[in-house]
Amino acid sequence: MSSLWQQCVARLEGELSEQQINTWIRPLHAIEDPDALRLLAPNRFVLDWVRDHFFQRIVSVLNDVNGLSERRVLLEVGSTRPMAGRPLTAMVTPTTVMATDAPVGKPTTSLLHTTNGLNPNFTFDNFVEGKSNQLARAASLQVASNVGQAYNPLFIYGGTGLGKTHLMHAIGNEILTRQPQAKVVYLNSERFVADMIKALQHNVIEDFKRHYRSVDALLIDDIQFFAGKERSQDEFFHTFNALIESQQQVILTCDRYPKEVEGLEDRLKSRFGWGLTVAIDPPELETRVAILQSKAEQAGFELPSEVAFFIAKRIRSHVRELEGALRRVFANSQFTGRPITLDFAKEALKDLLALQEKLVTIDNIQKTVAEYYKIRVADLHSTRRSRSITRPRQTAMALAKELTNHSLPEIGQAFGGRDHTTVLHACRKIAELREADARINEDFINLLRVLSN
Amino acid sequence: MAEQLALDVGLREGMSFASFLVGDNAAAVETVRLLGKGGGERQVCLWGGAESGKTHLLHAACAEAAAQGLRASYLPLDTLAALGPALLEGLEQLDLVCLDDVQEVAGDEAWERALFDCINRLRAGHTRLLLAARQAPAGLDIRLPDLASRLVWGPVFQLHALDDAQKCAALGLRAGLRGFELPREVCEHLLRTHARNLSYLMSVLERLDAASLAAQRRITLPFLRQILSGED
Repeated sequence: MSSLWQQCVARLEGELSEQQINTWIRPLHAIEDPDALRLLAPNRFVLDWVRDHFFQRIVSVLNDVNGLSERRVLLEVGSTRPMAGRPLTAMVTPTTVMATDAPVGKPTTSLLHTTNGLNPNFTFDNFVEGKSNQLARAASLQVASNVGQAYNPLFIYGGTGLGKTHLMHAIGNEILTRQPQAKVVYLNSERFVADMIKALQHNVIEDFKRHYRSVDALLIDDIQFFAGKERSQDEFFHTFNALIESQQQVILTCDRYPKEVEGLEDRLKSRFGWGLTVAIDPPELETRVAILQSKAEQAGFELPSEVAFFIAKRIRSHVRELEGALRRVFANSQFTGRPITLDFAKEALKDLLALQEKLVTIDNIQKTVAEYYKIRVADLHSTRRSRSITRPRQTAMALAKELTNHSLPEIGQAFGGRDHTTVLHACRKIAELREADARINEDFINLLRVLSN
Repeated sequence: MAEQLALDVGLREGMSFASFLVGDNAAAVETVRLLGKGGGERQVCLWGGAESGKTHLLHAACAEAAAQGLRASYLPLDTLAALGPALLEGLEQLDLVCLDDVQEVAGDEAWERALFDCINRLRAGHTRLLLAARQAPAGLDIRLPDLASRLVWGPVFQLHALDDAQKCAALGLRAGLRGFELPREVCEHLLRTHARNLSYLMSVLERLDAASLAAQRRITLPFLRQILSGED
């Protein structure tokens, strides 16, 4: 921060509320040029607000501080970083305030991201493999070593926070390791849509098309956000076709099976199935433990395995929550200087786990399961033994055993006063069925996800 | 919100770490302090009821960041959400983003998308994120699973409101920053006989300070009674 600007902020701190300072003044980045002081706002919104409410005052304080007679004050949207957005400029002089929408420089270069969007920290080396993701990982490795040849497109789907994005970045990074000259672009579908809209607004849609059709590998994350956006889907459809035709690699992720995305055109759905579609399931216990240990190692912390098991047993929703809980334990350990033991971890995660237990009750499980299978909660308590009722009842019992700390007799009691052996039988039956029947396994995983989120 | 605003604009010591009574929130405060300095965690989420200190800590983190020459932004979504999610654009250019009252945008499709996209952009760069909400992330009515999972990406801390003894200590701390001592019996009397919310107590402290300066008198129990009876 420039010293002139620092003096100005110090003066403003005495005049404005903390909220005004922290919301509008501190986000500004000051650059002192010989003939101008440029104030960069992170977005148009901050720029407008500062211009309307504080600009006159800023200019007069700057005049006071420095006798700013010759130097102009410019208020712009922009940054000094390479990922800068379009430099919308508001030109301001000490006496006049004038905002213009005129883009500065060549708009295409600032519109299209100059970096490949890849995070170098996501690699195959630090991707923890388990039963739940081994197919997706193997397919990803294939694609990385045979770009455009193996599976095209590669479509990875699964719930949030299970490692789709990690795999995608790993593919991109691996391609670049093998072929440093390759042009790889990673972006979220939200960004694709936003960039396309900007390109349309600035009349540079042809550049946009050329840019995305010139890549060796296009990696688009979370394509479910294309749903309902017809213009973007249309644009993407043509880009997709052009890439596939010339054997350039396309890799896509989605939170569900492509055919299940509502609001996505059928022609896209069918094309997504041209290559290979692989699922990532929530990691099972051993994989969750391995993930925790890998993250601990990366962060330079010692994580005893009993602590890893303790966290992994209680947090089963997704990897981000696992990581969040682990970071919480680390933060407490760092702050207190105490080593990470089982008791320490229990104490650090006390409020988080108490909250979770409050959310997952047998009642809640019964309600959720009944809704899922479109039956009544009373059916779960009843003595009816038709399969359409028995299966959900067994599923609910197995979930209750998995997600709560209730004893088997307690669970039996909560299901119309059944014996604990019935609960035990239900749990075994469901485990068996999950191995044999993909549909039942998927139902179980869906319910687990809903209940533990 | 009106109560919190009173706390915001009224007190000249500001919402810094120095004026924050840690109480039972030591781990959270230290983690946020480190985050403000540009170290430690990438993302922290704080939650707790009214007057548990969320807003204070977010402002303190911004001030800490500014002291390190970092760019920070404090965005209270209870007042700013109405202006639209475009507010989140370009925040990846900053070093620290503090989003207060996240519960205000839960359930709003456009906002949830924008926040999801914003967290992705912050993560792709170097920007740290400090979130605060009334409820724990799991208790917020977030519809977008992709956003819900991102809210718990870093450590989540519940902030515990101060008990009476800690409120006395907080008043004492504030008085100390102003260069006077608040006798214990004055504090206890206040808590016994008046509303016990912190913003009200701080406003009484403010009045006492001004009155004692004006009257050139020390703050004593009789003086407190006189001031409060004069205003009632």
